[in-house]
Amino acid sequence: MNNQASASPVVAGFDRVTVRYGKLVAADAVTLSVSRGCVYALLGRNGAGKSSLVRCLLGQQKPTAGRALLFGHDAWRTRRSAMQRVGVVPEEPDMPPAMTAAQVVAFCSRLYERWDGKAVAERLRRFDIPMQVPVERLSKGQKGQLTLALALGPEPDLLVLDDPTLGLDVVARKEFYEELVGDLADRGTTVFITTHDLAGVEGIAERVGMLRQGKLVLDEEMETLKARFRRIRFGRRPAAQPAAEDALGAMGALRVAGGEWGFVAVVERFGDEGYGRFASESGVVEPEARAMSLEEIFIAVCGEERGGES
Amino acid sequence: MSSMIEIDPTDAAPIWRQIEERVRRLVFAGTLAPGTSVPSVRELARTLRINPATVAKAYQRLTDSGVLQVRRGEGTFVVDAPPPLAAAERERALRDGAHRYAATALAIGVSPTEATEELHAAWASLTSVQEVNP
Repeated sequence: MNNQASASPVVAGFDRVTVRYGKLVAADAVTLSVSRGCVYALLGRNGAGKSSLVRCLLGQQKPTAGRALLFGHDAWRTRRSAMQRVGVVPEEPDMPPAMTAAQVVAFCSRLYERWDGKAVAERLRRFDIPMQVPVERLSKGQKGQLTLALALGPEPDLLVLDDPTLGLDVVARKEFYEELVGDLADRGTTVFITTHDLAGVEGIAERVGMLRQGKLVLDEEMETLKARFRRIRFGRRPAAQPAAEDALGAMGALRVAGGEWGFVAVVERFGDEGYGRFASESGVVEPEARAMSLEEIFIAVCGEERGGES
Repeated sequence: MSSMIEIDPTDAAPIWRQIEERVRRLVFAGTLAPGTSVPSVRELARTLRINPATVAKAYQRLTDSGVLQVRRGEGTFVVDAPPPLAAAERERALRDGAHRYAATALAIGVSPTEATEELHAAWASLTSVQEVNP
């Protein structure tokens, strides 16, 4: 309904996508869009509905209702042509295990109209991928590098990464991100990534979506997200509780935990003014506000299934 | 220079601002001498594993405020004569530092007088006793 024209054209998105498996609702009227040049990270716990959405976006699955959109068109209907412009790193590398890396590369290069064979070869050389060994004998890290090299082969306008660093060790993960960042710098690729590696995407994603039980509960710029969440530690005298509680409530306290040793509150609408009011309450002792990492914010939003939607 | 820059995910400042301030401080401290070349956007983004657009934003601001300069085809450099820190920025840096120190003092339960004395002492030792109490 409200298709407002944003600054950059939308490359990928979901328009009220619902996916049901019998009674189970995997995705519940999810709407979001990824504009050109943006890195969008979709986060959610296992079973939150990420994979169903990725399959819809890649035209591998038809939503029960709504549409996944690729380059402005229904992904399900236009998948054949649209997928020429999409590079994919699937959750589980799906290369035929007996084929060698060289054979897989040759095979993939024929699937696409556009293929930068030189860049693929260079990338694989940089990572020392043995080309004549069956794919099944490559390490997880090598498979990851191979998949990324293949995904970038067609110089895609959109890169879809489905938990690409799952199972990779620290070094392989670091190399994966370096390679991704390099491509972002060189080509400004649009990226849609689902991941559990929140520390890894923290500096890379510009926009974040969080799924909880199929519902998109959050969809915003990383910068504003990080600006509005804080963890506040404080002690408190029993006397002036209500005023302090009101001040916390005004900052959107998600939860307050603690006991005699002190309290910790997570607030989702932090502001200097509101915090000043809270800190100057007579019952509040030694308050301290700290910014939160993406992982901490994720846990606060999706970590505990608490009743009562806001 | 890449190794002199670190990103703190629990810093309230956005990453581009962290980079901007870090570079600024390195320049004003003289660690990054006038005319020194700084890493390309691509290189720094890869090293820090952050979005190149974030580095580009920091560099743009540093260029706009006359700390860095882009020489076509050559790269990005620290200008020959960096401008002094803006008043607002000096004030903010001072306030940040003061706040941290006061918090430490509060936490260990010393009096303001004690804390102030300690500050003077630190000042004196850093400036090797050229100024005594004003």
